[in-house]
Amino acid sequence: MLDWTVFIPAFLTAAVEWVEAFTIVLAVSLTIGWRAAAGAALAALAALAAMTVATGGVLGLGVDVRWLQLVVGVFLLLFGVRWLAKAVARGAGLKALHDEGEEFAATRAEVARGDWMASWLIAFKGVLLEGLEVWLVVAALGLHAHAWTSSAAGALAALFVVVAAGLAARAPLRRVPQNAIKFAVGAMITAFGTFWTLEAVGGGAAWPWGDWSLIGLAAFYAAGGFALIEVLRTTRRQTQ
Amino acid sequence: MNAFLKTLFGDAGTVSVVVIIMITERVFVATGQVAVAVFTVPPLVLAGTAWLATR
Repeated sequence: MLDWTVFIPAFLTAAVEWVEAFTIVLAVSLTIGWRAAAGAALAALAALAAMTVATGGVLGLGVDVRWLQLVVGVFLLLFGVRWLAKAVARGAGLKALHDEGEEFAATRAEVARGDWMASWLIAFKGVLLEGLEVWLVVAALGLHAHAWTSSAAGALAALFVVVAAGLAARAPLRRVPQNAIKFAVGAMITAFGTFWTLEAVGGGAAWPWGDWSLIGLAAFYAAGGFALIEVLRTTRRQTQ
Repeated sequence: MNAFLKTLFGDAGTVSVVVIIMITERVFVATGQVAVAVFTVPPLVLAGTAWLATR
């Protein structure tokens, strides 16, 4: 039985990252062919799958969950504040929106300069780096709710949807509302990061409403993010 | 290697924000003010986010 509270955030986070990875693989495939580019992507996905299995194995060995909460919580904060800050800056017009078309052109230009192996490595590295964030969120959500299956299923479902949509379009997926998704996921994973790190550094069951506090934290960060966008947009207009 | 580290940790600004958050949480816990931390840390995180967004 799927845990939808885990499946949905895992799906959304993974979808954003897979869209970016697909753009890179698509650009590389035009230089070294579909088979080689897909091979590079599969090699990176295999490495990520091995990392996910190893993470689950570490948990099975009985490692102190508090240490894992601390490590994963810190990484969630690192990702969460970064994503939220980027989404706020883009929403306020301080930073250009992420454009898959530009990413595609930049990767095309990069592979045009390199040889077959260099292009293969660009596809491999692209999928591995984008997938690292997916792995972290899958691990974090799986760890929190003991819902590894739902967490991994969310990431895998996102992969299938993105690849299917990408193959159907045969073009970078530009219509995905990446900034809105990054904003929502940024708020969610920042909430998880705050929740876990405070508990792990010794706060014990610090949060007044237990796991329900996560919803309050995510709502706080989302509302705060919206307020920040408005304030920064107004300030920007006044200074122009 | 650089790209790998940057993907994992982000830039120096992001790392600084998270280090400040962690130190603040530890100080609250060490001084027995966990109940205060619950209402102080989230605004601090948001302030850090605002700073990162405006850099």
